[in-house]
Amino acid sequence: MSKDEHSLPQSAARALKYLVLAGGAFLMVFPFVWMMIASVMTAGEIQMRPPVWLPAQPQFDNYSELARSIPIGRLYFNSLFTSGIIVLGVLLSSSLAGFAFAKYRFPGRELLFYLILATMMIPFFVTLIPVFFIVRQLGWIDTYQGLVVPGLASAYGIFLMRQFMVTVPDELLDAARIDGASEPMIYWRIVIPLVKPALATLGTFTFIGAWNNFLWPLLVLNSRELFTLPLGINSLRSLYADNTNLLMAGTAVAVVPMLLLFVFLQRYFIKGIALTGLKG
Amino acid sequence: MKSSWWMPDIPKSAVLRRRMFWAYVFVAAPVVALLVFLAGPILFSGWVSLHRWDMLSPVGDMPWRGLQNYVFLLTRDTIFIKALGNTFLFAIGGVGANTILGLGFALLLNSRIRGRTVWRVLYFMPVITAPLALAVMFSFIFDRNYGVVNNVITALGLPRQPFLSGPHQALMTLIFIAIYQYVGYYIVIFLAGLQGIPQDYYDAAQVDGAGNWQAFRFVTLPLLRPVMLFVVVTNTIGALQVFDLVFATTGGAPANSSMTVVLHMYNTAFKFSRMGRASAMAFILFAIIMLITVMQVRLLRDRAYQD
Repeated sequence: MSKDEHSLPQSAARALKYLVLAGGAFLMVFPFVWMMIASVMTAGEIQMRPPVWLPAQPQFDNYSELARSIPIGRLYFNSLFTSGIIVLGVLLSSSLAGFAFAKYRFPGRELLFYLILATMMIPFFVTLIPVFFIVRQLGWIDTYQGLVVPGLASAYGIFLMRQFMVTVPDELLDAARIDGASEPMIYWRIVIPLVKPALATLGTFTFIGAWNNFLWPLLVLNSRELFTLPLGINSLRSLYADNTNLLMAGTAVAVVPMLLLFVFLQRYFIKGIALTGLKG
Repeated sequence: MKSSWWMPDIPKSAVLRRRMFWAYVFVAAPVVALLVFLAGPILFSGWVSLHRWDMLSPVGDMPWRGLQNYVFLLTRDTIFIKALGNTFLFAIGGVGANTILGLGFALLLNSRIRGRTVWRVLYFMPVITAPLALAVMFSFIFDRNYGVVNNVITALGLPRQPFLSGPHQALMTLIFIAIYQYVGYYIVIFLAGLQGIPQDYYDAAQVDGAGNWQAFRFVTLPLLRPVMLFVVVTNTIGALQVFDLVFATTGGAPANSSMTVVLHMYNTAFKFSRMGRASAMAFILFAIIMLITVMQVRLLRDRAYQD
């Protein structure tokens, strides 16, 4: 392992390593780059034979045309608003229930916790039809509530928070009680600050899931004013069936800001994901 | 405090009872939500799978069908049987490739290398992108007429390929896209696992005269078993439920050669209003997923103990 760094096979192996990594990275990035390039081509250039690899003149007008035909701001607002509420709901419900399961004894605790563990395994498609039915009975089809409320509690979130909160020492809670803190105050002032990293991880996960979710909004929403970004892209598929350049512009508008956000926060994103992967 | 296995005694002191009251307050809303949107629906779904129901007629009047929905699916619904096969192939291909590539690239990134963070970010980009957006991007990239892959292929003088529109290539192409989409996630998971292995173990192996391959075989692999288990299980569970990607690329076409179970279930329920049959499909897939998960856990865990 620690042989001479500059021996020939060693440096050949190093070169190969970088070559493989670079090849893989090229494959990973290329689809995004191609999307961006195609988004500033003319419709004619996309269909040209022999094919062209770059637009003669970048057509930034494609983006203004896109903005004229779909309400980009509205799509962003809907996605942010609904994903934000789902994240807040999941963080609150998971941390409250997780706290109770981790730090209190009460009749029915084991039974309820088994229920949580059992529901954690249920895939979304098994409950899709009944949940759709419930939402329809409540008159929530084509509303924000219909989109958001079924996602507000997460069995996985409760489990995760419980696992983290079990490690909070009881002495800390008892000390606060002696100082006259009420139970909700202990939750808010002592436990929540201690499990912030876990909350951040759960929040990140939940946000990505809600932001990218497609099937549920597809079922629940009908009006364009309520559409989230994935539904917006989906509607572009038929609108721009013959204008792939505009379709790519639309996809880029939906995808690139999230990618930039990820690049800025990557350390944090990836740490959290690796963390829960190992916990699970 | 003495307690039975499922229920502690009700505490006698007022302080403890007060605490118990708060515990109930804390769990109330989340538990009710899980009952209404998860536990209740799964029971209801099981009930519906034994009936014929279009969701419009009242729940009380659903005609009883017994196990006929299940029998029909497994014997006469050729699309469902085709979809099951496709879904298996999709999962096997995707999970196999993601496990091998994920571990391989994680090993590369775990060795002495420059710019680890940058590589990791690049490989992770597809993971956080909406599957629907990736589906739209790749529909274009693999387009028979104007796709960039065919541009390259024809520039090399090779014949144009149908990819997503070819009955023998659609599923393969979807597997490729799924690998693209998730491999970065598994690289990150494996990398975290590798970094959790103490250097001492490798030093000890080296003292014992182990080469690189032996260190990998007898230190890395056994210690990575839990991570391997996590990767294989979660990837399989996810792959068997694929929907967005297929919906927005092939829609199951051509000739159902890329139809998957959840897409067929979606069509059965929300295009043809056959809720009973669709619910039965969901239960069959659910049972399969549980069975496979249990098998994988036993296989990978038992081996870990034997080593």
